[in-house]
Amino acid sequence: MTLWEMKAKSHAHIDSICDSLTSAVASRLAEMGFTAGQPVICVRRSPLQGPLVVQIGDCVYSLEQAVASKIRLSQLS
Amino acid sequence: MKKIILVGKPNCGKSLLFNQLTGLRQKVANFPGVTVELKSGQFNDFEVIDFPGTYSLHSLSKDEEIAIDKLNEALTDDNTALLVCVLDATRLERSLVFGLQAQALAHRHNKSIVFALNMIDEVQRFGLDIDADKLSKTLGSPVFALSAKALTGIAEFKKALPTLAANPAAVNNSFSHLDEKQLLQRSRDLGGEFAVNVDLVLKNQNRIDAFLLNNVLGGVAFLAIMFFLFQSIFTWATPLMDGVETIIAGTAMAVTSFTGEGIVSDFLNDAIFGGLGSFLVFVPQIMVLTLIIGLLEDSGYLARAALICHKPLSYFGLSGRSFIPYLSGHACAIPAIMAARTIESPRKRLITMMTIPLMSCSARLPVYALLIAVLIPENQYLFGLFNMQGVAFFGLYFFGIVVALIISLILNQMTAKDKELSDMPFILELPTYRLPHWKPLIHKVLNSGAQFIKRAAPIIFFVSLGIWVLGYFPQDGDLQESYLGQIGHFVEPIFEPLGLDWRYGVAIIMSFLAREVFVGALGTMFGIAGADENIGGLAANIQADGLTLGAGIGLLLFYVVALQCVATVAVLKAETGKARIAWGLYVAYGILAYIIAAVAANVIG
Ligand SMILES: Nc1nc2c(ncn2[C@@H]2O[C@H](COP(=O)(O)OP(=O)(O)O)[C@@H](O)[C@H]2O)c(=O)[nH]1
Repeated sequence: MTLWEMKAKSHAHIDSICDSLTSAVASRLAEMGFTAGQPVICVRRSPLQGPLVVQIGDCVYSLEQAVASKIRLSQLS
Repeated sequence: MKKIILVGKPNCGKSLLFNQLTGLRQKVANFPGVTVELKSGQFNDFEVIDFPGTYSLHSLSKDEEIAIDKLNEALTDDNTALLVCVLDATRLERSLVFGLQAQALAHRHNKSIVFALNMIDEVQRFGLDIDADKLSKTLGSPVFALSAKALTGIAEFKKALPTLAANPAAVNNSFSHLDEKQLLQRSRDLGGEFAVNVDLVLKNQNRIDAFLLNNVLGGVAFLAIMFFLFQSIFTWATPLMDGVETIIAGTAMAVTSFTGEGIVSDFLNDAIFGGLGSFLVFVPQIMVLTLIIGLLEDSGYLARAALICHKPLSYFGLSGRSFIPYLSGHACAIPAIMAARTIESPRKRLITMMTIPLMSCSARLPVYALLIAVLIPENQYLFGLFNMQGVAFFGLYFFGIVVALIISLILNQMTAKDKELSDMPFILELPTYRLPHWKPLIHKVLNSGAQFIKRAAPIIFFVSLGIWVLGYFPQDGDLQESYLGQIGHFVEPIFEPLGLDWRYGVAIIMSFLAREVFVGALGTMFGIAGADENIGGLAANIQADGLTLGAGIGLLLFYVVALQCVATVAVLKAETGKARIAWGLYVAYGILAYIIAAVAANVIG
């Protein structure tokens, strides 16, 4: 499952970041808190497949599909 | 002079701290990454340099790249005495990701670093605290808990800074040599040990977002805010503008009664009060616009607006981040084009920059206001909430946006081939909602007025002067027979399809230098023509003179589309790195404007 498939208000944990993202984007995501094992909450989804809003660590971010679908979640949530 | 360098992640309150240290006012904005330039000011014997906020030392966008290059440069400078890294106490873990990178960097350059743990007032409001001493020991660098807004801890910080800068101390900890991954882990551990409860911090923000980002209510709120913004430019600014007008008219009366009749009084009335004066009237409008955009920026709403707009804008090949440059483009294209640096995708950045000039900037306000006053009655509806003229304004702004979107779409189609390669995804932090601090805001508003006058007044003065001289002689005030009239009749055929006579033609040609000139030039010409009357409103003069609705609307649309600003062309050239693009746009938008105006004039009649 990927971050993009999360339902609003659901909880999960980050598993890994897909290799198809450039390393600059991947390392930025890591710095923003998207690293293996981190708990993430999907705060809301936008209409028309707009960016989703997630809470990770002490921040709230908005990510579009192109990047959210490249972040894998682990099954254990 | 020894330098102190200020760094930190966006929205940690760095700009405000800078202001508190240096007393120098500057832009304080709440949109991540809005500070692009380096700002410097003086604190005691030090020069304090404010670096743009960056999330990390690995750049993702152009503005981060610039910031990081400059930072490295500054750290190799022997004059750099101290690095101050601002941390957001409410988001300690995230701040420390950058903080530890900065510390390692300082360590590599043998510079000392101190941490300013800002926003401590917010932490204390939850009845919590952060153990700064313990954090300092763990980090191996001094930590000062403070609040740039509530001013707690600022005095101590100011007292300690000179000593710290004079006695550089190496970073003293065990983790400056860690690699990136380990640093991330380290900041997570530190966050776990020292940071306050996350849910507490984010509760308010999430509650407000539940409304402002709601699928239905959020959209309504967004449209309401935008409508309010445009309506207020007109209704709030009116009393102020009337005030300025009265002052100018009063001064004109007083001065000309002193000079008596004759050429001097003609000159003052027509060129100075008629030309320059009719432009000064619009300064309050520019300040109201800046105030409202500033409020939205500082409150944190703009990041939400970017989120809301991302999907709709992406259909046109733009990013949600294009929204902020577009919005500030309504004040002035120059800072807006520079703000486009925060757009990560180079392609979207270019398209945004190329279409920003279509946003109705404040320099168009005088033209709009004048022509709307001429063409549209001042009817009010719903107890003055809606005003026909305000609606007309909204329509013009809207027209500019629509044209910009259409052109974006075309540009996007043209460049679609290399789409996949260069695209960076949309990732945006939603900052905490905050009540804006009034001081920097007021300063920003006053500054916008002053800047506008400073930039435009000299051009307008010389153009007014030139037009007056050409229009007054050789017949001492007979405009039709003047040199200007002769030139005007020569160019008149160009403007005939637009239904405009030569006076408008001359004013339009002049305004290709800077569009503000239009009103002044017209003011001067009508001033000369109606030499005996006092400078009654220019709008009344034009009404009496007769301007057909079609030609008037065509003229308005012309000013929406035409890129009549040499300063914007210069910035476009600098930011795109291509003179071809900049001048190409200048010509292309001019031609497009002409065609649209001709169509309007002939269809409406
Ligand atoms: N409560 C509180 N707000 C602050 C403090 N410092 C800055 N702010 C606010 O935080 C917002 C962002 O500050 P700014 O200086 O623009 O941050 P920058 O992006 O790091 O330059 C503004 O609305 C400030 O008024 C502080 O110590 N306490």
